[in-house]
Amino acid sequence: MSSGCVSRMAGLLLGFGAFAFATDASAETTLKMFVTSQGQPGIWRKVLDQYEARNPGVKVAIELGGATSDLQAQYLNTVLTAKDSSLDVLMLDVIRPAQFAAAGWTSPIASANMSSYLRAYAEANTVDGKVVALPAFADSMFLYYRKDLLDKYGLKPPATWDELATAAKKIADGEQNPGLQGLSFQGKAIEGAVCTFLVPYWSQGKAVVKDGKLDFDREAATKSLALWKSFADSGVAKKNIAEVATDDTRKEFQAGNVVFAVNWAYAWAMTQGADSAVVGKVGVARLPAVTGGEQATCLGGWEWGVSAFSKNQEEAKKLVEFLSSPEVSKFMAINGSLLPSYPNLYKDADVTKAVPWFADAQPIVETAKPRPVTPRYNEVSEAIRTTVNAVLAGVTTPADGAAQIEARLKRILR
Amino acid sequence: MESMVKNAAGRVDTRRAILSRWLDPDETTLAVLLLAPAAILLGVMIVYPVGRLIYTSFLDLSLTSGLPARFAGLANYQQMLDDPVFWQATWNTILITLITVPGALLVGLGLALLANLPFQMRWPVRLSLLIPWALPLAFAGLIFAWFFHSEYGVVNDVLGRIGLPGVIWFNSPRLAFAAICLAIIWKASSFMAMIILAGLQTIPRSLYEAADVDGAGRVRQFFEITLPLLKPTIVVALIFRTITSLQTFDIPYMMTGGGPGTSTATLAMYIHQNTVSFLDLGYGSALAVVMFGLSMCVTALYLRMIRGSERAS
Repeated sequence: MSSGCVSRMAGLLLGFGAFAFATDASAETTLKMFVTSQGQPGIWRKVLDQYEARNPGVKVAIELGGATSDLQAQYLNTVLTAKDSSLDVLMLDVIRPAQFAAAGWTSPIASANMSSYLRAYAEANTVDGKVVALPAFADSMFLYYRKDLLDKYGLKPPATWDELATAAKKIADGEQNPGLQGLSFQGKAIEGAVCTFLVPYWSQGKAVVKDGKLDFDREAATKSLALWKSFADSGVAKKNIAEVATDDTRKEFQAGNVVFAVNWAYAWAMTQGADSAVVGKVGVARLPAVTGGEQATCLGGWEWGVSAFSKNQEEAKKLVEFLSSPEVSKFMAINGSLLPSYPNLYKDADVTKAVPWFADAQPIVETAKPRPVTPRYNEVSEAIRTTVNAVLAGVTTPADGAAQIEARLKRILR
Repeated sequence: MESMVKNAAGRVDTRRAILSRWLDPDETTLAVLLLAPAAILLGVMIVYPVGRLIYTSFLDLSLTSGLPARFAGLANYQQMLDDPVFWQATWNTILITLITVPGALLVGLGLALLANLPFQMRWPVRLSLLIPWALPLAFAGLIFAWFFHSEYGVVNDVLGRIGLPGVIWFNSPRLAFAAICLAIIWKASSFMAMIILAGLQTIPRSLYEAADVDGAGRVRQFFEITLPLLKPTIVVALIFRTITSLQTFDIPYMMTGGGPGTSTATLAMYIHQNTVSFLDLGYGSALAVVMFGLSMCVTALYLRMIRGSERAS
């Protein structure tokens, strides 16, 4: 090794030493924020850039994980049972704050004022009078439809599932396109399948849990499972619907292969994006009801929690309050088509200019029903979603499936 | 004063004695000293965790309940008896073992015999033998999940090209199970082949030459020379394979996630679900104890087989 090389390396080492010293001296805090990879991390990054610009000395790094809600929860379960301090801020599905608070995994946020949020989110994030997380965005399941095709056949968005089946058949007969599916929904054994089951169940006026006790209606459950199975059997939905996850529905609708789709609000921005085949051809409506029932939908949305094991509690809480502010809520509505968690933003001119249907979405979100709240939610979810999957695959009959769900829920919620 | 001197001298003496005992230990001490690291390592890495697992299996310990652990006796085991998913997962695990272990053995034996043929370019064959084994299990599972996907998968594409109707593999418990077994055999046979290939190379060529002189055909040579001399190798490979197949997790987890419904779940997946997803450590531990018991039974069986064959020879 030549002496020149040695001195150059020494210089480099010195340089690194000085650099390390400099960052140490300014006492910079780096917060780590856990976001699901389906949660539009690129747009959240822009929000964080703004935050970093306004708060010198604070850097926020995004850690991605878990393409679906259940995979994300599984990852967090591992990290948090180990009391790992590497994550500071957690993005949580609306079903989790109660669960995480019971396990002691999130820190209460004492300074928060919940009265300005939509009521459902104020409730979902308050456990025993303590605020355990703050809303990131609201959501519920909607019926996406091809406005152009419905107009072509003189149809209106269906108010009942039977009307939807009839409309889908009419369009299929007219289009003669074997690649066009009538309806896409979630039949894979993922969290979304829990909502798949609950929507027609609730539509019959039934609840799963009443006053903290199981209040299961087996007949309504059978009817719900039979409804979805009938879509697969009659060809309205495709035969392998048991393989379809939430983002598959989004992709297929975006590619122009689906007339009706059950999906969350996030899908909108992508159906109107550059690589979409259906720009300007999409309508969004309330989910249909079972005949004779009421229109019901599933409450979604995600929340920001502060990990109880974070070593930067104060900084993390400050960041969460910013992320949950009206300013960010509006930014995410416009740029990510995420429904605002503040009621007054739904009619905001800038928001409705970007996403016109948000103007009509508030009553839908406000009447959306929450999934059962229990610390053992993961087990409830598993019992429901694997049964939905088994029924759609034809392994179990709807009646047996309903009986299985009831038996398992009885054991979990005893 | 005198006694103090004596005492000091005595202390020096004992110190010297201790020193010499360390420097020149008698046989018993030496044995203890040499065995201690291994014993401590085994204790910390195996005996303690297994003991703790068995202890936890008698507790009512669920992290989601927020309640402290409570002794529950045999409640977790009682719950298992009434749990249809447990029975299904256990049966699937046993079935996977019964199908894939002999399957991988046959395919692996064939591959090893092929790779052992005296041809020039041996390295491409051996490399291709190695690749499935070197691939992470989860990877293999994902690859086969795509192979068998009803719309985008290559299997249905090939079926379509030869004029057969496509099949929704993961809609049917049987087909999904068959697809999983196929993936496991593919993955495991390369491991089998590598071990058997190593065994084949220890068989002296002179035996085959002598058999040639005696006029024994290829088939006879295989059954009279190759197979008997391979037996110890095969038993070792079978032990490894059987125990890992009782722990099958990655491939079905990636391919079907246990679906449709819970029809292709394995015991390891069910343990993972109860501990990692449901945080029910008590029940999860009880399930793990059952799996531990199953593995021990199989190992005992094989050990007895080996001892039997040693005695016979």
